[in-house]
Amino acid sequence: MRSVKSVENVNYYQVDNEVRRIFSLEGVEVLSIVDAWEKYDWVREYFEKKPIGGYFVWVKKQIDAPISTCVGIASKKIDQNLCNLLVVEKNIKVKGSVFCFAFRKNLNSKHSVKGKILLKENSSIDYAHFHAFGFSDSVFMDYEFFLEKGSKLEYIYKNMGAPVFLERKMNFLIGENASVTNKSIIVGTKSNVKIFDSAFLNGRNSSVIMKLRLVGREKSTFDSSTQIFGKEESKGHLDCQGLIVDSFSKISLTPKLVVENKKSILTHEASIGRINEEQLNYLRARGLSEKEAINLIVNGFISID
Amino acid sequence: MVLLKVEGLKVEVEKKQIVNGVSFSLERGENLVILGPNASGKSSLANAIAGLPQYKIKEGRIIFNGIDVTYFSPEKRVKLGIVLAFQHPPAIRGVKFSSLLEKISKKRVNYFGFDYLKDRELNVGFSGGEKKISELLQVLSLSPKLAILDEIDSGLDMKMVERIGEIVRENLTEKNVATILITHRGDILKTVKPDKVAVMLEGRIVCVSKNWKKILEVVKKYGYEKCKECRECELLSS
Repeated sequence: MRSVKSVENVNYYQVDNEVRRIFSLEGVEVLSIVDAWEKYDWVREYFEKKPIGGYFVWVKKQIDAPISTCVGIASKKIDQNLCNLLVVEKNIKVKGSVFCFAFRKNLNSKHSVKGKILLKENSSIDYAHFHAFGFSDSVFMDYEFFLEKGSKLEYIYKNMGAPVFLERKMNFLIGENASVTNKSIIVGTKSNVKIFDSAFLNGRNSSVIMKLRLVGREKSTFDSSTQIFGKEESKGHLDCQGLIVDSFSKISLTPKLVVENKKSILTHEASIGRINEEQLNYLRARGLSEKEAINLIVNGFISID
Repeated sequence: MVLLKVEGLKVEVEKKQIVNGVSFSLERGENLVILGPNASGKSSLANAIAGLPQYKIKEGRIIFNGIDVTYFSPEKRVKLGIVLAFQHPPAIRGVKFSSLLEKISKKRVNYFGFDYLKDRELNVGFSGGEKKISELLQVLSLSPKLAILDEIDSGLDMKMVERIGEIVRENLTEKNVATILITHRGDILKTVKPDKVAVMLEGRIVCVSKNWKKILEVVKKYGYEKCKECRECELLSS
């Protein structure tokens, strides 16, 4: 197992179901969610039942350091059931990152998360979320983002080798003058991926841009349903693109726009393509092997803004 | 010393024979220009020598540096020193021109004053001239022994043709790199000054001469069809 030293900068570090390290800075309270549940009554509003694992991060003052949380799986057949709560107080701007991973590829474990992110008035967060599990793991994500008036979320999710099963559900509840930019990159390798993302433009002048880049490799299956509900005067855009690398992978994209207010403007674009033979041969004629050429094309595809 | 020997090459594209038995050889550092009208099989010959999979070799052999490379993959041919500048390079979204060049280059990349292309996505929105420059820079980055330049001058204004001709001359021909330059117009020959010129018609080489000026003169006056019967250039070269 890697030493804790290699993750010195994290504020919260958990391996399997054991909390290994908690580090709070002045102005930020970091606890295990179990302790937070006991300490603060209001935490209980966010979860149906008492959590058994996960973190609580409460940013109360402006800080320079980024918020980092790290959850790893080191043992075989572990069942992680996490409830995470991140709260950013009014007018505070922070950067955060979440890193969830398996130490080895063959642990056959389960990572299940209910995450709640609360951005209070005029706060903002640049939030990067990385997943790196083993091929035999199963991952269930259920996240809710609550954006109060004037708050801003920049959220990027990267999973460059999705496990055998990944189910992701995300809800963005966006208030007045609040905005969300979300880009998700998922590369499947023998993976079955299900995505249910929804953005609710609940406040006047709220906005959302949701981008999805899915890459199907090695017999992967993606089933993605992404939707925006324009409930007030608002703007939303969905941009879903899939790239199929092998002959056996399958990608299904279902974008849905629901306008419930005549001043809500919602748009979408969606496309699914295969690796282009012409591009592949072109790169091979530059000395790259077929595998190197595919990797370059895939990396190019996922970097498209 | 012979670098490339093409023997009785027949090439099919989508089950249609395009190259109908082509033979020629090229010495180390020698520069051959292949002239011919559109659809005469020039590009198919170039792509077959570079090993692109959609160009199926039905008969014949390609010997490079003493090795039979007829059925080698394109990447293996590049490693041996055969590099092709594409006539119509595909655009690849998200891949920066500079990142490809840095990945393939064996030496420090020289952009020859075209540094502004560095951060552009590969061939995305490139003008005709930018595509040609991009191809040439990629070829130079791979330090070839044989550079095949397919229509490196097409669709360019005279000033750009001259600039590309200079880069080819200074960095390939004058550095003893063998070149096959494919063109259907002759302007670039004035800058490049080839060792010999071949004319290709209907998938065959119908004339080879060292007198490129004479060939251009004949073509200009009578058209390529004349090269089937006229033996003036060959006589002059011998």
